[in-house]
Parts: sequence; structure tokens; C-alpha cells
Amino acid sequence: MEHKVVDHLFRHHYGKMVAILTRFFGLSYLETIEDAVQDTFIKATWQWRTKIPDNPEAWLNRVAKNRTIDILRSIQAEKNRNFKITTGASSLQIDELFLDHEVADSQLRMIFVACHPSLHPNEQIAFALKTISGFSTKEIAAALLTKEDAIVKRLTRAKKSIQENNIQFKYPNPEAIQERMLRVMEVIYLTFNEGFHSTNQDKLIKEDLCGEAIRLCQLLLKKEQFRSGSLYALFALLCFHMSRLESKISIDNQIVNLKNQDRTKWYFPLIKMGDSAMNKAVEYEDTSVYHYEAAIASEHLNAKTFEETNWKKISYWYEQMYAFEPNSFTLLNHATVCIQLSDFKKTLHLLNSIDVSDLVQRTYLYYGCYAEYYIKKGDKELAISFLNKALLETSNTLEKEFFMGKKEGLIG
Amino acid sequence: MKDFMMIFIGADYQELGLSQEQLQERMGKWFAWNEKMMAQGIVKGGDALVPHVKRVSGPKRTVTDAPLIEGKELIGGYYIVQAENADAVVKIAEDYPDYDLNGTVEIREVMVFEQ
Repeated sequence: MEHKVVDHLFRHHYGKMVAILTRFFGLSYLETIEDAVQDTFIKATWQWRTKIPDNPEAWLNRVAKNRTIDILRSIQAEKNRNFKITTGASSLQIDELFLDHEVADSQLRMIFVACHPSLHPNEQIAFALKTISGFSTKEIAAALLTKEDAIVKRLTRAKKSIQENNIQFKYPNPEAIQERMLRVMEVIYLTFNEGFHSTNQDKLIKEDLCGEAIRLCQLLLKKEQFRSGSLYALFALLCFHMSRLESKISIDNQIVNLKNQDRTKWYFPLIKMGDSAMNKAVEYEDTSVYHYEAAIASEHLNAKTFEETNWKKISYWYEQMYAFEPNSFTLLNHATVCIQLSDFKKTLHLLNSIDVSDLVQRTYLYYGCYAEYYIKKGDKELAISFLNKALLETSNTLEKEFFMGKKEGLIG
Repeated sequence: MKDFMMIFIGADYQELGLSQEQLQERMGKWFAWNEKMMAQGIVKGGDALVPHVKRVSGPKRTVTDAPLIEGKELIGGYYIVQAENADAVVKIAEDYPDYDLNGTVEIREVMVFEQ
């Protein structure tokens, strides 16, 4: 017999069940609920050893439902009074909560809880990965390159703010949705970036993080009230980036830059998905940075070889993006493009308009760009001195190796 | 052919706090092992045990509860299999999935009484 449990079933179902049960009991029981759901899976690992149920999801739902009733009883006993349902679930029977559309609804509510403004951005990502995506604290720590106790602290703080601010398991009011969606999209974007730009050596972790971000995006897109040009553009951007993930990591786990990527490894179904999302995005009136980022990513994907890249068009998009929302990283990226165009005057102008302090821990990119500029101009000495500066500013081994390699190339 | 009991000791998933992803992976390995033994037709029985322990001991029938028993000593389950000899069972036990979690398999021959 075939092993028919789909990948990540436990992890994804964990998020679903926690959301359903939270909808029923309210956020104040989150901790109890998480423990109960965890128990359900331990039970499954025992029981499924000899026979995997015909419908694993239904089995999990049934066990979770029974657990819900158990919890209800123990809460009643503990409080010695009749338990009153304080959330919006009061009108719904417990069976209805397990219907597909209600499950999605519960998970969406959880996304808004995770992205509530009273939580710190750090806490939001950790909380979302734990509660919605079913990562363990250890897995979150590995994914975010942080120590496990730091993650535990973030989660504790997040839960505390939820209690203290009496956050309800509901959607924001209609007038607040657009603004809250901005934060939701940012959390999804950051989660994706944690995976995509991570220096993490574990490829699976990268895929998991990026995959989760895309999944959350899809979940939101299912509901009409959350759709917007920005959300479609964000989805397109994530698809475009994701299509390159495979080619971005070499067999020996090194980062491969755009120039040297094997373009035949790009995953075209995702590019197509991104294209159609982009077509949807422009049907809406709102514009966002995601629109520009997606346009740029798409332009890179259009080029069959690095040399065929339409740098002019990309340069145009960077200009538009900066006009839409000024940002030092946009200037820096634009400068890199201008080097490709051998537009030295503009490169220097852009680099000079950057306030280095805006780049925080990424100043090495700025010096690296200067070095690139001087390499292209043929000034080895200045190029080396900027590479040295870049080396001083990065602690990351992979980046260090990258700059060292450049430097040796110039000296040798 | 003789009957042997494989007793699984340690590697309590609850205590180890395994993630969903790890639990699913473990489940798959146990399932595959079970399938393999079933296909060979050697399994006579087996169960998983709930990790709550009560012990009754001594002339006074003193009852002790679970917390006194450490997870690494906890019996999690057993299989009864048919095999030629203990060495053959050692071979079977190579597929036990939880060695990396410091789990142990104890192999014991089931005693046969003279008629």
C-alpha cells in the first residue's frame, strides 16, 4: 500500500485545528488548545502506524472535535460553572466549524490576530509561524537564525499582548481592513524574505518559509473583501521570486547570483501564476511597492540570458518605484542597474544620494556596489579599498567569501 | 519458528516535544516498518502503550505514579514476531525508527511450556 499522507499534512492541519478551536473557545484558551492539538498528532503517530485512515484529514478533525469536547468539560469543571462562548462562534455548531470555508475563515482571523498592531513585528512573524503554519519553536529558531529561547520569549510576549489588549478573534472593522491589510502583507513579505534571502544553509527551511508566505497569500486572495491590487502584486512578486529559488542555491549550498544562475531551472508554472496575478493586480486602482518589485522581478525573468536583460526597463521601474516611495535600498539597487548600463554618471549620483545610516546592517552592500562601480571603470585600487570596507561591515561567512573572491580576482 | 517480543523503550514523543513535521516523518517510518513486517507475514501482534504508568510493588502493594519513571525507561509499545532465532529478530529490529531519539529495542523470546 502506498503511503498516502500528503507532505506537511500534520503541520498544515495543526494551524487549521488551532484556528477552529480558537474560534470556538476564544483566544484566552490558546495555550490549552495548542496542547490539545499537539496531543492529537501524537495520537495519530501511534494509531496510524498499522493503518493510515482512508481519509486522514477527517480522522484528525474527528479526534480534534472530541478533544474540543474534552476541553470544554475540563474547563467547565475547572470553573465550576457553565462555560459561555464569548466569540463569534456562538451561533455556529461545532460541526459547522469544521466545514472547509469555515476553516479558511478561522485561519484568516488568526492571520489578523498575528498581525495585530499591538504585537511587535518580530513577534508577529514568530506567532504566525507557530500558530498558523504549525512550526515548532525549534523550527522557527532555525528558520529565523535565532536562538530558541528568544523565540519562546517572543511567543510569550505575543500571547501576553493578545490577552492584555483583549484582542478578539475577529476580522478588523470594514473601515480598518485596508490599513490592517498593509501590515498583513508586510508580515507575509518579511516571512518570505526570511526564507528567500536567508543565509541559512538548510534548503528545506528556505522552501518552507517561502512556501508558507505564498500559502497565506493564497488564503487571503480567496476572500473577496481582502483582495486588492497590492495583494495580487505581492502574490505575483512571491511567485516570481519562488520560481528562482531552486537555481539560487548551488549543489554545495552556495548562493548563486542572478548572473550565474542556471535559467533552465526556473520553475515556469510559478512564473505563469505570477503573470496572471499581475494582470489581476492592474485591474485594481491601488498601487504599491509590490507592483514595482514584481515588475522588476518579471523583467529579470523575461531575459533568456543575463546579457539579454533589459536593464533600461528595469532602471525605469526603479525610478518609478523611488518616486512612489523614496527608499535608500531602491537607490542602491538602481545604482547596481546603472553599472550594468555603464551609466557611470548616474551611478555615482545615485550612490551619493544614499544616506548610509539608512542601510543599517547592510552597509556592506553599499560598499560592494562602489567596488563594482570602480571595477567596471577599471580602477583596481579604489575597487580593492571599497571591497576592504565591505569586508569590514559583514559578519556573514558567505558574503565574506564572495567579497574575498572578488578581491583575489583583482589582485591575481 | 519461535515467538519473540520486541519491546520499545524510551523515545517518548510527548516528552521530547517533537514538531508536527517530525511527528509526521516518524509516523511514516513506523508505517513503512509495519508494512514490511506484514508483507513478510511475521507479525503476531503488537500495541502502543499510553504513557501513563502506575506501579504496584512490595508486600504493602505500594502504588507509584508515572512521574517517578523517567521517559528514557518508559515502555512505549511492543510487537510479537515470529522468527528463526534472536539474531533474525535483531535484523528485523534494525528498522525501528527511533534509535536517533535514544530509543532502545529489547528482544525477548517468548517462553514455550512443555505440554
